[in-house]
Amino acid sequence: MNNQSMNEISPVAGALEQNIQAIDIPPRPMIIDRIRSAMNEDVPNFKFVGQLVSADVSLAAGLIKTANSPYFGYQTRARSVNEALMMLGLDISCRAIATICLRQAFPNGAHYERFWDASARIAALSGWLARQIRRPNLRPDDAYTFGLFRDCGIVVLLRRFPLYKDTLARANNEAVLPFTAVELQDFPTDHATIGCLLAQNWWLSNGICQAIRYHHDQPAIELFESGLPLASRYLVAISQLAEHLLQKVSGASHTEEWTKLGPSCLRLLNLDASDLPEIYEEASLVLIDVD
Amino acid sequence: MTNNSEIKHSLDPISGFLSRNAGMVVASRLLDEAKSKNGLLSALWIDMDRFRLVNDSFGHSGGDRVIALIAERIRACVRDDCALIRVGSDEFVVLMPLQETLCAEQFARRILLEIEAPLLIDGILIHPSASTGIAMSRGDDDPGALLERADRAMLDAKRQGGNRFVVSGHEAVPGRLGTRLAREEMAIESALHQALENGGLELHFQPIIRPDGRIEAVEALMRCTVGNVLIEPEKFIPVAEKSGLIVRLGEWSLLQGTRCAARLRDQGLATKVAINVSRAQLISTEFLQALNGALICANVPPALIELELTESLFMDISPTVQANLHGACALGVGLAIDDFGTGFSSLASLKDIPAKKLKIDRAFIKVLPGDWRTLAIVKAMAQLGRELGMVVVAEGVETPEQLVACAVVAGVDACQGFLHTRPMSENDLLAWMIARKQS
Repeated sequence: MNNQSMNEISPVAGALEQNIQAIDIPPRPMIIDRIRSAMNEDVPNFKFVGQLVSADVSLAAGLIKTANSPYFGYQTRARSVNEALMMLGLDISCRAIATICLRQAFPNGAHYERFWDASARIAALSGWLARQIRRPNLRPDDAYTFGLFRDCGIVVLLRRFPLYKDTLARANNEAVLPFTAVELQDFPTDHATIGCLLAQNWWLSNGICQAIRYHHDQPAIELFESGLPLASRYLVAISQLAEHLLQKVSGASHTEEWTKLGPSCLRLLNLDASDLPEIYEEASLVLIDVD
Repeated sequence: MTNNSEIKHSLDPISGFLSRNAGMVVASRLLDEAKSKNGLLSALWIDMDRFRLVNDSFGHSGGDRVIALIAERIRACVRDDCALIRVGSDEFVVLMPLQETLCAEQFARRILLEIEAPLLIDGILIHPSASTGIAMSRGDDDPGALLERADRAMLDAKRQGGNRFVVSGHEAVPGRLGTRLAREEMAIESALHQALENGGLELHFQPIIRPDGRIEAVEALMRCTVGNVLIEPEKFIPVAEKSGLIVRLGEWSLLQGTRCAARLRDQGLATKVAINVSRAQLISTEFLQALNGALICANVPPALIELELTESLFMDISPTVQANLHGACALGVGLAIDDFGTGFSSLASLKDIPAKKLKIDRAFIKVLPGDWRTLAIVKAMAQLGRELGMVVVAEGVETPEQLVACAVVAGVDACQGFLHTRPMSENDLLAWMIARKQS
């Protein structure tokens, strides 16, 4: 097929042909591979991992900040990378490092900063909620990572297609159709699919990858037949509740997701709408802590 | 139910069934009884399907609740003279003194039906199912041998897709080999899970070269290493296909392959990258979203990507598969028919699939140039491809004589194989391409 007819078929194919924005997606940071291989040795080498992290100042600061965050609730404060590694353990440290690296790998800029601020709040609230609402196979650090990255596909689409922001606005205001269905009206893919591809590329757990792919899909989180692991369903339910809490507390940036997914999420988390006012109150305190 | 005061202390607390050791004692006694009464003893080995999913979803405490409920259902199906044993986390054995094999099959059917009823766990409806293996004895086996035969039959039921029973002696691959193969598959599946979450996958690339030296494309081939052990694609791809993991592996390759194409282009070495896609990916209505997602992420023109369609696709080309293939074509992505001439990839596939490339299976190439009949077939395939406007590639070219037979005598358009290069890492591919360009 030649370029001209391809452009007629799909504006996306045209955009790809023209290579309109010569940017690459955030690659999986090399340091994650190096830390994983150090961890996979028979005797995991704390000292070597510490050296790897310390070599990157912002990563070191990020890891210490993570260990000291109210979300982990440690009494003592980490003052060095090695202390942070000891407090968190290598497994959680590795996940935390991956999270910090991935955040750094995404583009900055005023527009994206707002997006990341909201994601960081949703992530913090998700981690907090996961600790409150204990469920088997639901790790608070997974809830945190999922909250931060579930919408990373939006960043990729915004950078590739300037018109995507109009689609995004429509999808946010859509009260009936799934969010991704609105995206698919304008584009041949959606942010959940792209987010899942990226998460697989970064070796995130299957639970997180699947949750990213189906986080706007009500039947997938509600019906057992969908085959979605329960951990993924909990991640989706927790993050949707976190987003709802954030919007309720801040009174800003409303979407229709809670209208569409809220009842399923509450059922999954074994909560009742009458439980929410108390959670709003506690969430506002958590947000003050995060900010 | 078997009465024995010693054995009462050996009950599994979750199912209330006999523990494995106690079960073996009872089995031995029931075998003796069968022999003395000139009767039969049947062993039904029941293994829950996809139980890993239940454990993954609900944790082990949820898994235990499911086991307890399933155990109750099994108990409700059997007579008082049967022995019930829990032989593994999600595996049970029912020992049943019987008069004939048909009765055992009726019981197996009833148990499977009973197990199938939906279960509600933590607000989620589960549809459990089980695979069952049946073995019979006149009392002349030892208990271990009887259970091993039942286990082997169960593994065969599992291999056939689960939720069914197989009678020992009727397995597709009977004997110890069958058991070993099934166990090996389970180990490989577990290794694949590890590879997907710990970074054990990598793409290697093998160039496809035209007679004039131009590179027609590079094929991306998946490598899997877990704990420093390399697992061969011939071993892990079939397991990935059976377990459904192939979709994740395929999507992973899609993004890696498109990103490689982008990097080659950025180095001034724009080359088509051929990525293998599986039947499981193509029967999904989400395939085009994933393909577009990968192209968008990698920011690569569709014309630099080719999808290699494995022969298993051609068993049944559904409307969804057709729509996916035509959608990919409309986007500008090339399609190649892999392993042509063997298995399910028949001439009919050329009619149904809008492919632009035909890859002749290595089985035809490896007997060249000596086998004149095969040479005639390769020539005919090359001719057919040309008339359909397709690029024809010979796979598995390993000797200069095979190269001459393919490129000069049969007239194929390009060759792939160890004679040119072995598959190599992306860095090695880049170095190789740069060196060729300079020379």
